[in-house]
Amino acid sequence: MAAILGISGLYHDAAAALVIDGQVVAAIQEERLSRIKNDPSLPRLAVAACLRQGGIRAEDLSAVLFYESPYRKLERVLHWLLQAYPASARHFSKALSAQLGEKLWVLDQVAELVGVPRARVRPTSHHLSHAASAFLVSPYQDAAILTVDGVGEDVTTALYRGTGTRIEPLLSLPYPHSLGLLYAAITAYLGFEVNEGEHKVMGLAALGQPRYRQEFERLIQLHADGSFELAARYFSYEAGGELGFSPALEQLLGPRRTPGTPWALETSEADRRYADVAATLQSVTEDALLELARRAKRETGADALCLAGGVALNAVANRRLLREAGFAHVFVQPAAGDAGGALGAALLGAVEAGDGRPPPLAHVALGEPIKVDEARALAHHLGLSAEQLTDPAASVCELLLQGGIVGVCNGAFEWGPRALGQRSLLALPGSLATRERLNRVIKQREPFRPFAPAVLRERAAEFFSDAPNDLTPFMTSVCDVRPLHRQALAGVTHADGTARVQTVNATAQGLLPAVLSGLERATGVPIALNTSLNGPGEPIVAHATDALAFLSAHAIDGLVIEDYLFRRRS
Amino acid sequence: MAAPAPWTPRLPLWVRVFAWLGGQWAFRSERRAARLLQGFACTEEQSQLELRQAARDCPDERRRARYLRHALDETRHAHAFSEHARGLARAAGAAGFAPPSAGCERLYERLGELRFLAFVHVGEQRGRAEFETYARLLRKRGAGATAQLFEDLIADERQHEAYTAQLLNELAGADGARRAVRWVRRWQAWREFRRRGRRLARTLYNVTMLFVYVTLAPFALTLRLFGKPQRGFSREF
Repeated sequence: MAAILGISGLYHDAAAALVIDGQVVAAIQEERLSRIKNDPSLPRLAVAACLRQGGIRAEDLSAVLFYESPYRKLERVLHWLLQAYPASARHFSKALSAQLGEKLWVLDQVAELVGVPRARVRPTSHHLSHAASAFLVSPYQDAAILTVDGVGEDVTTALYRGTGTRIEPLLSLPYPHSLGLLYAAITAYLGFEVNEGEHKVMGLAALGQPRYRQEFERLIQLHADGSFELAARYFSYEAGGELGFSPALEQLLGPRRTPGTPWALETSEADRRYADVAATLQSVTEDALLELARRAKRETGADALCLAGGVALNAVANRRLLREAGFAHVFVQPAAGDAGGALGAALLGAVEAGDGRPPPLAHVALGEPIKVDEARALAHHLGLSAEQLTDPAASVCELLLQGGIVGVCNGAFEWGPRALGQRSLLALPGSLATRERLNRVIKQREPFRPFAPAVLRERAAEFFSDAPNDLTPFMTSVCDVRPLHRQALAGVTHADGTARVQTVNATAQGLLPAVLSGLERATGVPIALNTSLNGPGEPIVAHATDALAFLSAHAIDGLVIEDYLFRRRS
Repeated sequence: MAAPAPWTPRLPLWVRVFAWLGGQWAFRSERRAARLLQGFACTEEQSQLELRQAARDCPDERRRARYLRHALDETRHAHAFSEHARGLARAAGAAGFAPPSAGCERLYERLGELRFLAFVHVGEQRGRAEFETYARLLRKRGAGATAQLFEDLIADERQHEAYTAQLLNELAGADGARRAVRWVRRWQAWREFRRRGRRLARTLYNVTMLFVYVTLAPFALTLRLFGKPQRGFSREF
């Protein structure tokens, strides 16, 4: 019996996760509470929130595990600063200052932050944390585990075999050969923010053609054994280039895109070229992942594949893995990025303490609950109206059927980057006008970015091919929208005819299943457009303050918090 | 008998002088103006984070709502500055900017509500004076669009200045408000001193590390000559 806290941080996506007696009690990303997108600091607020959720104090913790080893990371940084000599001259002092000034002492900082003796804090390894975060909450007892991200300590890609509570390392691919870093470099080249714009690149890819395969063959070589190699001259990681790519990349692919320039895919030849670059990147990434997955199958012979690491958030690639890699089942832990490392570290600690595995992840409402009383009190002073509802789901349906866009907050907020009904904006799935309004006015996003549908699991197959599967409850894969329904689902069907589907159990708790059932009764279609409740550049809403701030700043048609409807006074 | 008028701190003269000098330099080129506006966007972004923290932690619902409204204004300002900066950068053929980002110093938690309020008030007062100076300067230069941007925000700054002064007086009375503002000004001066000290230390550190870097040349050469290239799968973890 143990209470284990897992922590990730000091790079991006800081998070904390608490496992008590082998059960995942809380898992919270710092950005939700600090309101700083991809907050890279140590998760001070998330740690406190996890302890509150668990009803324990810091001194009750048996151990605190940090998701990676700072010592091995320092070794890699030093190695590559020397390897890139003298190009690393400009980066040297900054890199050493970050490592020696802060990151090397992270375990002491964690001990101080949490309030436990230093002896109770220990590191684990980056990719092992990722592997544990996927496998130990998956529905499988035996699986191949593939972790693919930018870089951990010195490894970018790793293959493990998971059996019961055992995770056996099989293969690793060393830095700098990294799919994550390739994707990040092209993300920067396309004018998006690294660690934030990768999903935009994935959305953009659907609008282009992979015309640059030949050029990409010079960037990355895929080998028959599943490994791959990046050509160093196109990247600038060791030289400290802020964008991650060198001038050689612009010579190869043409000038990079200026960040913040409005997109005009219909009229701008240059933007169509950028879409083609994105499409090529996506296609190369998929091919690389597929070869890795096939190698994983050959190495393990397992029927199931668990994926983690930032690259595992590529929902389009995940669909190809499910279809073509030869595994009967694929599972992606929904916070697959570095935040997930906190969960993995906590689970590793629990297994080590003899607590066994938690049950398979059934939902991601692992944050703090929303307080409706707090919302009511604040709404009064913000000049918002508050109305108690007898049947919140029916009221949401009514607003949606009138063509409204409705925010919903119920229960604890989600773990991971997807809003899965606890902090969501809902709309009907058929209207392109609603999609436009959401994209341009409310979310102020690029016009090409798609919205996702939430559908009752029991009827998912009627509308989407490949659904339901082990990925769809967490929106970590795309499915084809069946041609018969594409017009009726125009608001959630992407340019390539796919949708990032979330399947919802009708019997599950929360507002979303009841809303979908209500829509089914009213229209025959148990589907809603479901997007995250956040403004441009903001983390998803966590608490009542954030929710009412969102309502005050955005022209939505209502916000339902538990059993209250809040609206802006006209 | 009428209630005494709330005490409001006077704005130091140097704020307008420095703003005028800074504006003269920054608004000579669109690139520099863009950088200045992007800097403002980041400051507004940080301000909204601090105010969001205050809105979350303050025990009084009415004040929480005011902090939250203020935070929403700051978000709007950050967006307006950032958009305008991008427009200027585009017009000057310069690289664009990423969306404004900032950290949070947790000032509400560290300073307590009264000093936090004094800090916000002093910042708003200075911001208003700077914006007024810039707007006048830009009008004279014929940069109407950028002048308009500042003019649009001045009303908000005035309102923020007024409500923070009112809350300061409400919470601490005139004497308490005066003491809090004095404390904040001293604290800011000390912070600025330390910031400059850190900048100097960073420069010294960079020079030292340059020497260290040069001495590493033989090790780098050895690694180049004898280090094994890292590629392909490994069974080592």
